[in-house]
Amino acid sequence: MDGPKIMFTIPLFGGIAVTETVTNSWLLIVVVFILCKFLTSNLQKIPKGKQVLAEKYVTMITGLVKETMGEKKLHYAPYIGTLMIFSALGSLMSLTGLRPVTGDLNTTVAWAVVTFVLIQMTKIKANGFLGYLKSFADPFPVMLPINIVSELATPVSLSFRHFGNIAAGTVITSLLYTALAALTNIVFRGFMPVPIFQLGIPAVLSIYFDLFTGFMQAFIFSMLTMAFISNAAE
Amino acid sequence: MEGHTQFVSLDWTLIFQWGNLLILYLIIKKFLFGPIQKMLSDRENEVKSMYDSAEKAEKDAISMKEEYTAHLAGAKDEANEILKNANQRATLKTEEMLREAQVKANGIVAKAGEEIELEKKRAFAQVKGEISDLALMAASKVVERELSSEEHERLMDQFIDSVGDAPWQK
Repeated sequence: MDGPKIMFTIPLFGGIAVTETVTNSWLLIVVVFILCKFLTSNLQKIPKGKQVLAEKYVTMITGLVKETMGEKKLHYAPYIGTLMIFSALGSLMSLTGLRPVTGDLNTTVAWAVVTFVLIQMTKIKANGFLGYLKSFADPFPVMLPINIVSELATPVSLSFRHFGNIAAGTVITSLLYTALAALTNIVFRGFMPVPIFQLGIPAVLSIYFDLFTGFMQAFIFSMLTMAFISNAAE
Repeated sequence: MEGHTQFVSLDWTLIFQWGNLLILYLIIKKFLFGPIQKMLSDRENEVKSMYDSAEKAEKDAISMKEEYTAHLAGAKDEANEILKNANQRATLKTEEMLREAQVKANGIVAKAGEEIELEKKRAFAQVKGEISDLALMAASKVVERELSSEEHERLMDQFIDSVGDAPWQK
């Protein structure tokens, strides 16, 4: 299975490859921008139609952040909202035939590193720099390597979980398409030029691999980010 | 340069995705959360102020109602007082008038009595005079004799006294 296609290369530092993942993200950003402008245009005191949708999303994210992180960390709401949209739409774009941006390890690692940095910053803020360093030697200095590994495991597990789920969906879907094409050939002994079994059957699996997994991973990634950051403050 | 990157690899895309995350974050913050949160807080404030003003209006209405009730009760008391006073005054006036009338009537009756008495006396005196003349005439006729004036007078008084009040008045 190939990785993301290289769309073009910027001739800098020996060639920066701009892949499908990046261009698809740009497309996603444009779509989200238009969506935001559309949903929040002509805001009314008494909400109607599209405004209800936008308000529902904002209040849902705000409520989630308040519930898991507390009133003091409400300023994280836009970031969590961003992660949720980026992740969900980034996975769901596979429904349109585009390569999901979350099926690229670079994307999930980028997000996980941000989460990791936020966790460390929150810890330093809560305990002071010395307290933060000391916390690695808790409860015994012998635990130092284990603590470091467990700290580093957070972004690794976060990013690989998300990447793995979406990439696996992509792989399984392509395997399924190949298998269904082969099945068509076997059943019709080569007299059917159209791989007829590819019609409909993948859609059923797509409900799980694209829709369910897409939303689920977006939710898990956001929830874990919130939980880790609020834990770090203690 | 066409081609594919590795299925699992870290490359420049990581940097691009950080940039994309930042851009998307700024867009979501500025164009979705910003306006919506502002609208939500505006609405909350408006609802709050509406509740406040409604509460105030209710309080005002209650206090006004109490005031009016008090006023009304006061007015009722006042009316009762006025009525009572008027009644009292009317009673007093009536009694006074009755008393005055009584006094006046008594005066009239007394005066009438006096007048009657006076009239009676006058009539009596007149009758007395006539009788004395009559007696004198009769006596002179009977006696056929001229009496002296002093005797005449004495005789007359004697006669009158003998006639007296008592038998006549009965």
